[in-house]
Amino acid sequence: MAIKLENVTKSFGALTVIDNVSLEVGDDEFLVLLGPSGCGKSTILRMIAGLETVSSGQIHLGGKRVDQLPPSGRDMAFVFQSYALYPHMTVRRNIAFPLIMRQFRWWFHIPVIGDLFKRRIENSPEVRGLVERTADMLALTKVLDRHPRTLSGGQRQRVALGRAMVRQPSAFLMDEPLSNLDAKLRTAMRAEITQLHQRVGGNFVYVTHDQIEAMTMGTRIALMRDGSLQQFGTPREIYEKPANTYVARFIGTPPMNLIEAEVEGMTVRVGTSVLPLPDGAERPVSGAASGTGRSRVWLGLRPGAFGIVPPGQGKSLAGTVTLVEHVGAESLISVKLSGIRTAHDDDGAPTDEVMVSVPGYSELRVGEAVGLDCHLKDFSLFDQDSGLRVGGRAAEDFTTNGRVGAIRTAS
Amino acid sequence: MIKTHTARLIAVLALLGVAAFPLYWMFVTSLTPSEQLFSPSPRMLPTLSQIATYADAFTETSLRLWLVNSLIVAVGTTALSIGLAVLPAYALSRLDFRGKLLLGFALFMTQMLPEAMLVVPLYDIFTQLSLLNTLLGLILANTAFTVPVVTWILKGAIDGVPSEIEEAARIDGCSRLGIVLAVVLPLIAPTLAAAAVIAFFHGWNEYVFAQTFISDDTLRTASVGLASFVGELSTPVHTVMAVGIVYTLPAVVFYLFVQRYVVAGMTSGGVKG
Repeated sequence: MAIKLENVTKSFGALTVIDNVSLEVGDDEFLVLLGPSGCGKSTILRMIAGLETVSSGQIHLGGKRVDQLPPSGRDMAFVFQSYALYPHMTVRRNIAFPLIMRQFRWWFHIPVIGDLFKRRIENSPEVRGLVERTADMLALTKVLDRHPRTLSGGQRQRVALGRAMVRQPSAFLMDEPLSNLDAKLRTAMRAEITQLHQRVGGNFVYVTHDQIEAMTMGTRIALMRDGSLQQFGTPREIYEKPANTYVARFIGTPPMNLIEAEVEGMTVRVGTSVLPLPDGAERPVSGAASGTGRSRVWLGLRPGAFGIVPPGQGKSLAGTVTLVEHVGAESLISVKLSGIRTAHDDDGAPTDEVMVSVPGYSELRVGEAVGLDCHLKDFSLFDQDSGLRVGGRAAEDFTTNGRVGAIRTAS
Repeated sequence: MIKTHTARLIAVLALLGVAAFPLYWMFVTSLTPSEQLFSPSPRMLPTLSQIATYADAFTETSLRLWLVNSLIVAVGTTALSIGLAVLPAYALSRLDFRGKLLLGFALFMTQMLPEAMLVVPLYDIFTQLSLLNTLLGLILANTAFTVPVVTWILKGAIDGVPSEIEEAARIDGCSRLGIVLAVVLPLIAPTLAAAAVIAFFHGWNEYVFAQTFISDDTLRTASVGLASFVGELSTPVHTVMAVGIVYTLPAVVFYLFVQRYVVAGMTSGGVKG
């Protein structure tokens, strides 16, 4: 079911933590809310779930407005970062709990009688079958009668997923569900959740600060910062056409290099080198700001978009190696450019270093003079004042490039 | 290592001796023939031939009735205190409302009033409500004193229940009451047990109200009954001691029964870390 946020704002007194966020995803999409700690992504998720109220704006699920409904009335399941299992219940009861609550009557509150009724529901063929099928899917069959405290982190996480799945909700909401797992298990669970999405369908809304999770799992990413939406698009769109310098630096490891440049006509000048822009490249409206026909921009280049050549060769940028890191399949090389400013932060605080990645084991030494060839195929241009994207690689339609085959784009 | 172990053992035994000796001395005294009670060289060992003192305590006094009355009062106080304290404790822990701090503080304030000060006003109220000379009245008076303590103890425990577990229950379709009963209470079971012990002991040991509000002999509690032996002219010391021992036993049994629930780690495994 489509999820739609319309001008959603959340304030605590004078403090606005979510500022006018609007986004919409279609059926069966895997939406990732991405951003650093404290950017408001979890708050958005909690508002969708109904655990937080909305200060203004509306939330719709499948065309129905839900922001006034209690959490239980929204037909959504929530997977918590801390799993939030019921420690006093067995795995079986944990998974069956949402189903028991569906048939809950007030007399279930009466201690012994209530327990009998709950057990009866739990043992009814349909609930038992559903719980066992879910457990089977998550490889939990063997631990069904154990308590959460006896399980490993990965198993607890799967119980939390099972409790969400068993309700067959119209949306799964997950709040950094993998952040408590070790790196290896995280990779495995990442694949499991992606497969789960493909198998059970439905909308997934997934909060993470890990861009790898976002890029690999999401069919759509909403990148947040300080409570406002920075960019909303497919992983490819966000990677290849970042909307601003913040997005450019947030996505990608190492992040995109931002090099001070000037665009004039179909060329871009970096330092003393004048490089031609490829055909079809989007350019800023020439000199709109300065009236000189030139636009001052940050040229955004991924670390892989450089070639290391002998110093002084062709139109290469001159620099000195300051750091060489070997990470196996590639080497990361920091190069200090001579006479050219670069930016490490989206606020444009100037430095003069770029990060270059080259395949294989690099024999370069610290202090060595090198030349950097810029490959202007995948690149972005950002306005130096606003940080917004003003041009870059040739226009291309990224909107249907999701992880899952055919994604209906929100209209 | 062994040294610290031994030192600890000695310290524990010393403490145990200090705590247990009075009880032991009660036991020895209860089994000492009356003519030896005031002997200048007291016997350290009980005279087992005197064991009939215990049978006499039951046959010659209304001990059985007193114990039953005490049990009714203690159990009633415990049940009512826990029942009344759970929801306020939850509210103080989880809900935000105006005057929350003041309310919590006011609960504490009630603890600072001595029982004796409240005897007269309560007597007046109980007269009007026909609660004088009833065990229910006694239960209510005791509960008034235990509810604030129990509320604060339970609030502390509820504070420790991760809020995610409650949120999970909300999403799974639990009402607030459902969350308290089905999720929170089982998780704070050890603290409930501890609170029950406190309320039970209060009800079991209470003397001032029981002495003042109950005049009917058949409704006397054991604390008052025990005190009634102390006469103007004579006090049957060994009977008092025997009754004292018998009076102590149910409380100890109750504690032993409940203390196995007072185990740590009930909430472990529900949330990470």
